[in-house]
Amino acid sequence: MNTESVKHFFRKDFNGWWLVSLIGAAIILLPILFIFFSIFQEPNENWFQIREYLLKNYAANSIILVVLTGLFTAILGVSLAWLVAAYDFPLRRFFSWGLILPLAIPPYIAAYTYRTMLSYTGVVQVTLRNKFDYQINPEWLSISSLRGAVFIFTIFLFPYVYIICRAFLENQSSSFLENARLLGRKPFSIFVRIVLPLSRPAIVAGAVLVIYEVLSDYGVTSYFGIHTITTAIFQTWFGMYDADSAMRLAAWLMVVIVGLFFIEKLLRQGRRYNISSKSRPLVRKKIKGLQAAAVFSYCSAIFLLGFFIPVVQLLAWTRLTFAKVWNDTFFTLLKQTVFVGMISTLLILLFAVIIANVTRSHSNGAYILSKLATAGYSIPGAIIAIGILALFIELDSLLAPFYAYMGWGKAPLILSLSLGMLVIGYTIRFMATGYNAVEIGFEKIGPKYTEASRMLGFGVTKTFFKVDLPLIKGALFSGFILTFVEIIKELPLALLLRPFNFDTLATKTYQYAKDEMIHEAAIPSLMIILISVLSVAVFQMIDKKVKK
Amino acid sequence: MNILTIQNLTFSFPKARVPVIENFSFKVDEGEIVGILGQSGSGKSTLLRLISGLEIPRSGRIEIAGTEAAGEKTFVQPEDRGVGMVFQDYALFPHMSVKDNLLFGLSRLPRKERYPRVREMLELVQMTDYEKRYPHELSGGQQQRIALARALAPKPKLLLMDEPFSNLDANLKGSIRDELLMILKKANMTCIMVTHDKEDVEAICGRSNVFGKAEGTACETPGKESKLTFVR
Repeated sequence: MNTESVKHFFRKDFNGWWLVSLIGAAIILLPILFIFFSIFQEPNENWFQIREYLLKNYAANSIILVVLTGLFTAILGVSLAWLVAAYDFPLRRFFSWGLILPLAIPPYIAAYTYRTMLSYTGVVQVTLRNKFDYQINPEWLSISSLRGAVFIFTIFLFPYVYIICRAFLENQSSSFLENARLLGRKPFSIFVRIVLPLSRPAIVAGAVLVIYEVLSDYGVTSYFGIHTITTAIFQTWFGMYDADSAMRLAAWLMVVIVGLFFIEKLLRQGRRYNISSKSRPLVRKKIKGLQAAAVFSYCSAIFLLGFFIPVVQLLAWTRLTFAKVWNDTFFTLLKQTVFVGMISTLLILLFAVIIANVTRSHSNGAYILSKLATAGYSIPGAIIAIGILALFIELDSLLAPFYAYMGWGKAPLILSLSLGMLVIGYTIRFMATGYNAVEIGFEKIGPKYTEASRMLGFGVTKTFFKVDLPLIKGALFSGFILTFVEIIKELPLALLLRPFNFDTLATKTYQYAKDEMIHEAAIPSLMIILISVLSVAVFQMIDKKVKK
Repeated sequence: MNILTIQNLTFSFPKARVPVIENFSFKVDEGEIVGILGQSGSGKSTLLRLISGLEIPRSGRIEIAGTEAAGEKTFVQPEDRGVGMVFQDYALFPHMSVKDNLLFGLSRLPRKERYPRVREMLELVQMTDYEKRYPHELSGGQQQRIALARALAPKPKLLLMDEPFSNLDANLKGSIRDELLMILKKANMTCIMVTHDKEDVEAICGRSNVFGKAEGTACETPGKESKLTFVR
């Protein structure tokens, strides 16, 4: 950008909307940068110890988890997507969306559900013992291990790969596949030679989402007692009371993740297949007999493991604890969760709308702004939380003279004990979810209505309220639901940033599970799952509308 | 009197090396209907966007009805230029009825005068029975007339039309052209119309300019060079 284009920008585009957007971006970036710059500070003694004795081990665990989960989710996701997209078999339509449902169960809930089910007193061993008089080797069923964590992550995160691959295969691949068939290829060779290479971008895109989830996980790994970089961040801060080293760990993890992000971008560059938008939907091949039975069993098994079994188990536990848990305390919990979720979602959408309205101009500055505003999406909740904590504590100490002047006591922690921390944390972490939804809305209507309105004598702001807003209502609605659900599910951020004595559904669930009150955890868990299923339904609705 | 004066206008898209419009000068008198003819990509629409204020020129001046709209130090926002535009795909607000679409541009008129003005415009384009309809309930030709009425309602000093016939059936074109000419004459409107169809220009415009020629040559076939030069 040269000075001339900067001058042009100020004359033509700069206005209050830009100013608010820049402030929003600054709020989002501040905690992230705060962490990043801790890399350049002098490390303390503790750090060398951490690096020497713990880090290698923790990093190895994180890498194993990421690689294995990435691999298995890719296999599961693309194979299921291919079967559902290309073949017609019993209950196919049901599986088509049913296989998305595992995403509605946060992995930490799945983790404690499966561990309890498979334990000595859990339903599996008890049934085998009492009904079949069979004593199974408990080793086989032990899930509190790396192996178990990979299982949980795979079964409950594969829908990321599945959704993207299925959409791609259903809508974009028909001409290639039909050609391959006409050229005399058998289904398996078509899958290996055509489907896999063509879906590579879709697989990578899905797998990257899975990897981000795994790297930011705290619930599963800490419950299973697996040490990863993310759990180490918690441990250093709250076990060793070493905030500096925790920040340093967070900073390095962030560097790795941002690196991954760029590698993915690089890999995708020049690999973009130019696939015509006019391609017809794929015609499904009917399969019968043994083949159909095999495909049906495969889909059923995944659906049962990923949704049906844990939900039924949770329902059973709910029956045991309903009277005990379903009371005023629970309603307060529900109200608090919805309250903080709503406030954060509204704040996110407000900024998302303002920023997206500004970035519609597609100038260089707008592109950078949109990237900055959505920077939080790939950064684990724990890291964002650490950044905010450190920043707010710093702010409180900076504001101490002001607090004293106001007569609030000497150096109290006002900001860092407020609900504001949690709200800002959610906003940074999930800005991208809201922003992307709004951006899609703006892209769909294009610039013409806005331009027409300006030609008819309305400025940017009036145009927004009279023309843009009514036209992106639908996008705002779906953005609201998606963001709200993400917030309700988020655990590490809430654990770290909630004020004293403030619980959300997610933190309460985790607390119950940690205190081995598994049955009590069922009701808040089901509540979270129910809210999440809502978002799957919204996804389906949008999907259908797009297809029309 | 000159309604529009353009002097040495140059524009290029960000990241593009070669300017789409270079050193372009041009004048339009009051009441004139000028056609601008050129291939797609020659920068015709960009010229309209520059005049309307939806793009900012790299250099040069644009003067509308004696006031500088874009220049070395000035840039008047599109809503303050008093220019009307009929978009290629009409851009009628889908969430508003025909009446509300027309009322939209009349916010600077006293409240009492707004609705009568809408009626007047609908009469002009012979669409009085359609005021409660929504854009998707209208045919292409009807949408075009409403878009024209909406652009004319605020009494702009200058009307810009971007490929006004490109979305219409070929057999409709003839009658709609005649109608358009009549409406424009009746409203005594100064108008610049961009099109790639020579017949449009011959049917409607008093004079025309061909875009997309090498500088100075006056041949009818557009040259390869994408530079824009005005040739009278």
